[in-house]
Amino acid sequence: MKKALTILAIISSILAVILSVLPLSNLAFIPAIGSLIFGLAAFYFANKNNQPKHTVQLAFLLTIIALSIATYKSIFTETEVGNTEALEKKEEESVEDSMEILEGLDTEEIDGIEVEELDGIETDELEDVDTNELDDLDIEDEDL
Amino acid sequence: MQRLLILALILFHVALFSQNTAIGTSEKLVFTASYNMSGILTDLAEVKMETSPVKTSKTTLLRLKCTATTYSKWDSFFKIRDLYESYVSPRSLTPYLYKRDIDEGGYYKFMQYTFSHKTHTVKSLKKKRNGKGEIWEEKKNVSIGSSTRDIVSTIYNIRNIDFSQFQKGTSKTFKVIFDNKEHVVNIKNLGQEQLSTALGSKMCHKLSISMNNDVLKGSNDNLLWLTADANKIPVFAKFKIAVGNGELKIKSASGLKN
Repeated sequence: MKKALTILAIISSILAVILSVLPLSNLAFIPAIGSLIFGLAAFYFANKNNQPKHTVQLAFLLTIIALSIATYKSIFTETEVGNTEALEKKEEESVEDSMEILEGLDTEEIDGIEVEELDGIETDELEDVDTNELDDLDIEDEDL
Repeated sequence: MQRLLILALILFHVALFSQNTAIGTSEKLVFTASYNMSGILTDLAEVKMETSPVKTSKTTLLRLKCTATTYSKWDSFFKIRDLYESYVSPRSLTPYLYKRDIDEGGYYKFMQYTFSHKTHTVKSLKKKRNGKGEIWEEKKNVSIGSSTRDIVSTIYNIRNIDFSQFQKGTSKTFKVIFDNKEHVVNIKNLGQEQLSTALGSKMCHKLSISMNNDVLKGSNDNLLWLTADANKIPVFAKFKIAVGNGELKIKSASGLKN
């Protein structure tokens, strides 16, 4: 029993150390807690049967290291965006390219026909109405 | 006289449902995207939604830009640099041009749609990087419905929903073109909820979003909270996709219309 618990404690503590140095450091708390539970149980059995506790102590040490790293990272590491130069350059190029495309499009067509189903509302009855004609009526919204 | 009255009612309807009342021309919303890993939320990326006016020789359009950038600690593991753009009519947010340029952990894809609302078609251009690192492209003409929009302008259009006409428990559908296919997005109003956000405590409209495909999982697992004011800012979102679930929380908002 003590042997199995010691092995579990060691495996959990190693996993906790690995996770603590990765960006996923928050996840290190899960195996670390597991390691502490297994370690304490192993420690209890070792004490009871007067067996050596060196391996369990090693698991505790690794767990403490993992918890320290994970806690430090969660408190002091600022979440900041990485290098976005390439993205900004891409954005600029995209705007230039878009301008060329938009110049070639008939951009007046939309506002003349866009009466259907805005906001997901079916307005089938409007399909045959030319909104340009409606605009010519010069009726202000407030008048309605 | 009766004809004029009908015409006036139609005009009122057009004015009511085709006006952009919520989105400003220099708006900037910043979000933190978190991913749920074994029950622990980990901040993964920063998502920005920005608007800006764009002048062409014929008209002034509104550029809707969404970017997703992973935080620096993730860059060496899984770097995301996504850019979504839509050039829309500032009055009704109807799209003219849509671009999607994604770079996710080495996976590159570019999609461009030029909308022709007269013919109800979209000219699509797809670029992808193959195994050899070469970029290949594919051009297509896709027929769309009269109300079909791109994903970016649809997100902004959801903010223009008139909630006085959209009662709790009712649903609305939006047609979205994504990856050259038309999808139906269903939005259900789940009522109002008070939410504590980075912008303060806000009364919000709670919406459930579902799609007729496998992109979004679950029935009521994809939720969006819009502030119950004139700006209808998306302050919080919960989503469930094939590889897990996550959250989108507002960090800051500026340049608001109202």
